[in-house]
Amino acid sequence: MMFACCRRNTFLITHKRLRLGFRCASSASSTAEPADTIFALSSGQGRCGVAVVRVTGPAAGGALRRVAGLSCGLPAPRTALLRSIVHPQSKEVLDRGLVLWFPGPHSFTGEDIAEFHIHGGPAVISGVLQALGSLPGLRPAEAGEFTRRAFHAGKLDLTEVEGLGDLIHAETQAQRRQALRQMAGDLGHLYNGWSEQLKRCLAHVEAFIDFSEGDLIEDGVLNQVDIAVPQLQMEIEKHLCDERRGERLRSGVQVVIAGSTNAGKSSLFNILCQRPAAIVSPIAGTTRDIVETSLDIGGFPVLLSDTAGLRDTGDCVEREGVRRARQMVGLADLTLVLVDSMQLPQEPQMVSGFLSEYLKNVLPSAKDHEQGYVLILNKSDLLPKEHISMIQNVLTQTSDMAPVSILSCHSREGLDDFLTLLQDRLKTLCGDPLAGSPSLTQTRHRAHLQKCVDALNQYYEYRDTDLALAAEGLRLGLSSLGRITGKGS
Amino acid sequence: MLRLRGLLIQHHFLSNCSARTASSVACREYDVIVVGGGHAGTEAAAAATRIGAETLLITQKIETIGALSCNPSLGGVGKGQLVKEVDALDGLMGRAGDYAGVHFSILNRRKGPAVWGPRAQLDRGRYKEFIQLELLNMPRLTVIEGSVEGLLVSTADPEQPGKHTVTGVRLADGGNEILSSSVILTTGTFLSGSLFMGKTTSPGGRMGEPPSCSGLTHSLREILGLKLGRLKTGTPPRIVKETVDFSLAHLHLPDLRPTPFSFINTHTHCKEQIPCHLTYTTPGVDRVVRESLHMNSHIQQDTKGPRYCPSIESRVLRFPGRQHQVWLEPEGLNSDLLYPQGLSMTMPLEMQLRLIREIPALQRADIHTPGYGVQYDFVCPTQLFPWLQLKSIQGLFLAGQINGTTGYEEAAAQGLWAGINAGRTALSMPPLSLSRTESYIGVLIDDLVGHGVTEPYRMFTSRAEFRTSLRPDNADLRLTPKGFEEIGCVSSPRYLEAVRVRQGLSEALSALKSITMSPSRWKEKLRDACISETKSTLISGEEMLQYKDVSFDMVASAFPEILSPYLEFSERIKIEAVYRPHCEKQQREMERMREEESLSLCPDIDYFSLPVSLSDEVREILDRVRPSTLGAAMRLQGVTPAAIVHLLNYVTRTGPTLHLTLLPLL
Repeated sequence: MMFACCRRNTFLITHKRLRLGFRCASSASSTAEPADTIFALSSGQGRCGVAVVRVTGPAAGGALRRVAGLSCGLPAPRTALLRSIVHPQSKEVLDRGLVLWFPGPHSFTGEDIAEFHIHGGPAVISGVLQALGSLPGLRPAEAGEFTRRAFHAGKLDLTEVEGLGDLIHAETQAQRRQALRQMAGDLGHLYNGWSEQLKRCLAHVEAFIDFSEGDLIEDGVLNQVDIAVPQLQMEIEKHLCDERRGERLRSGVQVVIAGSTNAGKSSLFNILCQRPAAIVSPIAGTTRDIVETSLDIGGFPVLLSDTAGLRDTGDCVEREGVRRARQMVGLADLTLVLVDSMQLPQEPQMVSGFLSEYLKNVLPSAKDHEQGYVLILNKSDLLPKEHISMIQNVLTQTSDMAPVSILSCHSREGLDDFLTLLQDRLKTLCGDPLAGSPSLTQTRHRAHLQKCVDALNQYYEYRDTDLALAAEGLRLGLSSLGRITGKGS
Repeated sequence: MLRLRGLLIQHHFLSNCSARTASSVACREYDVIVVGGGHAGTEAAAAATRIGAETLLITQKIETIGALSCNPSLGGVGKGQLVKEVDALDGLMGRAGDYAGVHFSILNRRKGPAVWGPRAQLDRGRYKEFIQLELLNMPRLTVIEGSVEGLLVSTADPEQPGKHTVTGVRLADGGNEILSSSVILTTGTFLSGSLFMGKTTSPGGRMGEPPSCSGLTHSLREILGLKLGRLKTGTPPRIVKETVDFSLAHLHLPDLRPTPFSFINTHTHCKEQIPCHLTYTTPGVDRVVRESLHMNSHIQQDTKGPRYCPSIESRVLRFPGRQHQVWLEPEGLNSDLLYPQGLSMTMPLEMQLRLIREIPALQRADIHTPGYGVQYDFVCPTQLFPWLQLKSIQGLFLAGQINGTTGYEEAAAQGLWAGINAGRTALSMPPLSLSRTESYIGVLIDDLVGHGVTEPYRMFTSRAEFRTSLRPDNADLRLTPKGFEEIGCVSSPRYLEAVRVRQGLSEALSALKSITMSPSRWKEKLRDACISETKSTLISGEEMLQYKDVSFDMVASAFPEILSPYLEFSERIKIEAVYRPHCEKQQREMERMREEESLSLCPDIDYFSLPVSLSDEVREILDRVRPSTLGAAMRLQGVTPAAIVHLLNYVTRTGPTLHLTLLPLL
């Protein structure tokens, strides 16, 4: 009997790991035996120039030799070699491609890895995968199994694993950049740096508690802590105050088109989607529900919503649509407020007053204003050019008005300027993933960081009355930070 | 046929039955044999008898049982907790301290009750007197003088882990054999001990006493194949009191009202406490240290000494040019000697005298006994189970300095725990371990068996992760009920007292909770307290106590009819009220740790061939330490979370599928 334990205990332990950032679940799929050799298509599904197939596990070397026809031994580690890829049973040549050999433990998973860089056609890919599957001891990998093996081999910490997961799922270039940074351990470095600082502070307080009655410690250790803790707290708070930029970049910016009926919201929506996703008609109240799509605008992920025109109506279906539209505006990171230029007052001086009123109607709460909006005067093609420039003059003089785009969804005039403006706004909202400190990308991180900040407050609260409880605050803060990287405290 | 020296030292208080000649014990068989009469040995022997084992204590000299071989003091920061816990489990140390204490003070008074360090200066004679009186009158305990030359060992019980099983000991001087099912070694610094002063070295573990037999070291290392290490320590010269000019030192008074160590004492024995004095080293001291270095072989050794109780030589070498504290501590009420704490040294005698005379208060002082150093073998404690039995030898237990610790309190704590388990093993009961979540004793032992030692191990409060829960004030609530109900090492009067206190505290806290008022009403009731009136919600009496300057007595005087019955618990109630919210927060984490500790890893797993993905480094660590629980494995340095996941996977593999998926995305 190797282990004296009952299964209930095991579950409890597993849950403990969950709190450390692991996820556990009962699953019907078979537990991965580390002895298995697994393979998978590592590049994305679908047609592409080059596809990468990876094999990891003890039989990877044998598989490489058989499929790449290397009878005299394995290639030099980490060196590309051009070979014919052959089916081990039928001896049919499947493709010609590069093969690479990464012997463990210096590989991504810590095990032996073989990589096949082959042509990206579906027939080639499935041919190679079938060939590998025909070898004894090899089986297709389960989702995430490569990463899990890397994690188990101690090759990645939790932030790095998450970064990698995001990289695999990165749909846009900006997301990919952020994921790459996180995987390289930027976020991990930042959090580990904080952990180190906090550890030093705690060590000082502990030394003071245990040794200050003798003379075995330096003077003023506590003063150093009194300076370092508020600094650290400020840094973490600043990181927390990034207005969710990292999370937005990861999950997409919520952009909502809103305005009165028949302002051309759905037309703008279709233009941005580059397809007729929403029904457009001259009839007011055509859009009654939220129409959503996800887009890549200038490399940033956007969740774009078209909403029902805001008006009082007796139609109960449309009324529900208006309610949903307002709710959507409340949740938006950015609202595109669309105005029908034909509704503008004839007198240009009156325009800014009209727009202020209009904005108040679309964005009733002050909170909405803070979240950001862009005013768009649509149907500019229906106004004389001189009139437009007069309006523009008036608006540039009104300082409190947010950026205004004048465009025509019909003639597409002004559209490029609008897209530039929109991209700038998205960039501010998401932050440039390559500049400055790495952003928060996971709500989980945010929760732990917030806990850390709260715990540090306990230090001040008890600093003068009970140093043991003050130190406990630092300890809790440290363990919250440790939970982000999964390294514990 | 027997040539054991002075077998029957009869003290005036010694009952006739307790000390026997070796001839009468030689033919007997005991449940437990304890070798050594220091702090570990005495607690071990007492604990084993408390749980019902027929016990034999073998010591070189009955007269030195309970001797304080170094400093004449007990407790302190971290160590005070150990004394309280030993007392809560009905050990001797706390009561002996209350009997022998001549100067009581609580260290860290301003840093919070969790880290208070109850401490006392002791009268050496009285301490020894108390311990000997207790031991020599204890039923089921026999004390003899003798020197143990070797262990009797036979083949192991195949049902249990281990390569050998111990069956008794063989005495020196005639080779008598005494049989027993458990043996506890508490030989302190006597295992291959050598004494150092200046350039001279002589075998021994304590000045003035014969060395222990080298046979024991040989048994442990060569026959049983244990891994031993070597450590060093030292003690200062004792100074003739009347040659000291106290006017040149700072007077240090004890606490006005001494706080007893023991939970069953309401007051301490000493009628009038005596002061200590504090003085400082001078540049002249630095000079003497440097000049004598070439004649000081102890300090030149690489062997690790106690970092937190360093010799004056290492202090000067580490922090040159600094003034170092020197405490002039009384050796007893009527003693003519002083103990200069901080001046432990190993230079030649004439240099010792020169050195102390560089200190103004000691400029005309005489040395009564010189300081000296000791180097000794210890058994690497990672070879122990958490119940202090060697993993490879059934029935053989180790406690105290032999495990690489330093300090009376650390020794006593281990002795008590080894005594309980040696007794249990002999009486065919399963061994027990204490958790880190419930006691400093648990922390101490878990650190020793989990991490081993590289320098003499001393207790600190920072070693206990649940420090706010493991306070000196609540050691009785944490351990006494368990000691009575589960372990059987606690007497029934002590148990009943702990139950009464527990009941009183819980009633008092409920009563406090039942009093709720608005801040302004509280302000009317407690005029002296500064309460912020900005809070609009009602405040309970318990919450009121969380204010710094609100004491239980204040609240009780406002509600005498409800609270006056609990005035005897005044201080404890205040501490409970302040700490309870924090301890509740820790509760979940403590439960988690207990769960991990409940998952045990079999001691003979072959980690090198374990079919799971573990790095060679981790395999080596696991193989070396052989953690007994998954919790202990997690706390090992170098064992990654991933490795723990693997061990966990391995645990669950034989059962139905429990699949660990790491990430939502994968």
